[in-house]
Amino acid sequence: MNDQHGTPTRRRFLQAATAAGIIGVAGCNTPGDGGNETDTETNGNGGSEGSGPEQIGSGQSPFGSRELSGVPMSEMPDLEGELTLYSGRGEALVGELVGFIEDLYPNFTVRPQYNSAAELVNQIDIEGDNSPADVFYSVNAGALGALADMDRTQSLPQEVLDFVPQNFRAPDGSWIGTSGRARSVPYNTDTFSASDIPDSIMAFPETAAFEGELGWAPTYSSFQAFITAMRILEGEDATREWLSGMQELGVSQYGDEFQIARAVADGEISAGLTNHYYIQRVLARRGESAPLSTAFTQNDAGAVFNVAGACVLDTAEDSTLAANFVRHLLSAEAQDYFARTTFEYPLVPEIEPIGRLPTIDELNPPEDLDLSQLSDLETTIDLLRETGVL
Amino acid sequence: MATEHRTTADDEGGEESGLPLGVSVAAAAVAAAVLLPVLWLVKTGLDVGFDEAVALLTRPTTLEVFLNSTILVALTTAACVLIGVPLAYLTVRTDLPFRRFWTIVVSLPLVIPSYVGAFAFVSAFGPQGGFQRLLAPIGIERIPEIYGLEGSVLILTLYTYPYVYITARAALKSMDTTLIDAARTLEHDRWETFKRVTIPQIRPAVAAGALLSGLYVLADFGTPSIMRYDVFTRVIFVEFGTFGRDTATLLSLQLVAVTLFILWLESRVRGEERTTAGGRSRTAVSLGLWRYPAMGFAALVAGLALVVPIAILVSWLGTASATVNQSLAFEWGYALNSVTVAAAAAAVAVVAGLPVAYLSARHDGLLPTAFERISYVGYAVPGVVLGLALVFFGSQYATPIYQTLYLLVFAYVIRFLPQSVGSLRASFLSVDPALPEAARTLGQTSAGAFRYVTLPLVAPGLFGGAALVFLTTMKELPATLLLRPSGFTTLVTHIWTAYESGYFGQAAIPALVLLFVSGLSMLVILRQEGYDVK
Repeated sequence: MNDQHGTPTRRRFLQAATAAGIIGVAGCNTPGDGGNETDTETNGNGGSEGSGPEQIGSGQSPFGSRELSGVPMSEMPDLEGELTLYSGRGEALVGELVGFIEDLYPNFTVRPQYNSAAELVNQIDIEGDNSPADVFYSVNAGALGALADMDRTQSLPQEVLDFVPQNFRAPDGSWIGTSGRARSVPYNTDTFSASDIPDSIMAFPETAAFEGELGWAPTYSSFQAFITAMRILEGEDATREWLSGMQELGVSQYGDEFQIARAVADGEISAGLTNHYYIQRVLARRGESAPLSTAFTQNDAGAVFNVAGACVLDTAEDSTLAANFVRHLLSAEAQDYFARTTFEYPLVPEIEPIGRLPTIDELNPPEDLDLSQLSDLETTIDLLRETGVL
Repeated sequence: MATEHRTTADDEGGEESGLPLGVSVAAAAVAAAVLLPVLWLVKTGLDVGFDEAVALLTRPTTLEVFLNSTILVALTTAACVLIGVPLAYLTVRTDLPFRRFWTIVVSLPLVIPSYVGAFAFVSAFGPQGGFQRLLAPIGIERIPEIYGLEGSVLILTLYTYPYVYITARAALKSMDTTLIDAARTLEHDRWETFKRVTIPQIRPAVAAGALLSGLYVLADFGTPSIMRYDVFTRVIFVEFGTFGRDTATLLSLQLVAVTLFILWLESRVRGEERTTAGGRSRTAVSLGLWRYPAMGFAALVAGLALVVPIAILVSWLGTASATVNQSLAFEWGYALNSVTVAAAAAAVAVVAGLPVAYLSARHDGLLPTAFERISYVGYAVPGVVLGLALVFFGSQYATPIYQTLYLLVFAYVIRFLPQSVGSLRASFLSVDPALPEAARTLGQTSAGAFRYVTLPLVAPGLFGGAALVFLTTMKELPATLLLRPSGFTTLVTHIWTAYESGYFGQAAIPALVLLFVSGLSMLVILRQEGYDVK
């Protein structure tokens, strides 16, 4: 996929990239967004409505129109029994998928408990041996790593782990990534062009054009994971300096990263630091005309690729059932669903992302960074506090 | 006549020795139930190393956000009183047209989760929000900044003044207006009468309401976060997010300490508590032409608090409905779930609050005061911390009721008990003890005197308290998420689901239903009150 502006780098991703022609534009299951823009989005290929479970196994996506490769649910072991799922991923985002899997098998019931990932980790920890939870489904690797550190997980079977490349799962097999999210730089195209955004995250504090124009969300877990990556890659001193530099630049603080993506599109600020899918969500709602685009930095903390994923808990009543449920999250249908509904990156290599996104191979995340290293948030928090960011 | 009865009670009873046994045992049991989660807080908080605790608490940022919290609480509480008391006066003591309508409408902001309000206001009045875009064509480039302290005070005031309104209203309802007539015959003008007669009588109730507003603001995280104003709860939130539960708990204990300080402060403000022969109210103040600005005031407050968020949500609904997935489809069962648990919580909280409020209004001394003050502890702790404490007790010691509605209602009662206690206590204070005593001399048992004389007189406070608990339970989120049975969806968890995933438009329908159902329930509650009060 080539950059519209003809720059040799693949890091910036612009309108032309229509996901290899699979889907015209993002957003048949578009998370809503505020604002008064008209919803110009339509389902790219039309006809996603009404497609149902009968298409399972046909190689056709049950959630939209495209041919799928990968392992369909029909080739996976049947699920039977009752499963308690603690989900840190919202019901609005994954509820439909969970319901879909449940409806596939007559003797299978899911008892879901939806809450934020951090609270569920606390809850599982406090419940101890009495926890009713079988599977924990998380928005980030940090929460999974925290449970693994508490020795509350069971190793997943190798044939489940084999679904995704090695860097998207725990080395000891205690959890597996089910979908991916890249750190990114949303920018307002009225203010900046792609070439104005530095290639290196470390250059941000010295970029005069960013003065008073940037936004970040330091209380958000993905931001903290990003700073953790910077600590590991650049060292503590450089990170401290970077944080101070950003503050001197007059960076604005926001409560969450969706708010930042919206604020950039509104022109309230001109650029920010967010996960990639927040930009897609805003674009999907506001359409082509929204002055919002995505840039990626290269091979540094600013381009960390993190995962949402799942683990089987030590309290699982039926570990085989639990592991097979996780396996279903890696099916062709589920992977397609993530790309479609949440604009995340499918982690099973056969499935392409959807939206104005570069493919996973075109991203340049930092090399030599192990996702399980990102669960050490404590040192990061200390650093953020020391510099007065938190 | 206004007489000071507390001294009399002391003279007769001689401090605590005169406490009625049954009521005391009941109050003690309620206090013990409230303290249960605090045990877990203390146990967990103590796991933090002392040095680490001191370091965290004395960091410049901690002190700064602490100061920010203090300013926010003080300003918001003051603003709540300035809005809540006049509204209460207008809807109780004057001939304001459509009083019942206004009573319901100005109570309703209580059911809107304040973060939803904050989010809507930022979208409407933010630097590049809808309102600004509306004004841009006529050359207005910039509207006043909504972010920061001012915006936080505005939003939190709009969604917490009903605490003051509802308690002040209950006090005004049970106030003896013959005193006002007396003052008027002594040629005091209306303002002078209000200052010298009404204010002293409603002061305990207003203080109770202001306390509820202030403590709500102190423990809130979502609103200041959206308004980009740094407060103390952010430190707790960050600790939870990074699994530093011990530290988060320790910090929550600090909130409890601050609460105790505020409680002490409030007991000073309460001042001299008077009792009167209540229940006689006749003349309403005639507003004359002032009724138009008065209605304008009520409409402005309710309009800002209710119409702005609903309008914003509905405007998004149009653009979001076509493509949404089925998990967000609205079901009426959610409304039924909300009303059921809220009604149960309100009923239990009032019953549990009665002995505590009665004892503390009628008897001085350490125990009655302690029981009453303890009832506030659950309210001072952020909801998520209280929820986790009950996760601990539920999963370890009460497995059969863990993640059932029983434990959920128990959590609500512990969280919102002070709302019923505060409202009831203020009402008990306004009942002249001579009245039930008179009933006793006429042959009634003490239970009978309570049932037929005291209870009808405190009915406004009772229903006011029930209304407060009901409305706040309708919007309770953090404990609900932790303790609800699997698959149990209420209106607010549904709003949260939509909001949290960015389907803002989808929050409109449950939010409208929340307002509608709460409004209906308020009507029912007010009607009950009408039967019981002359």
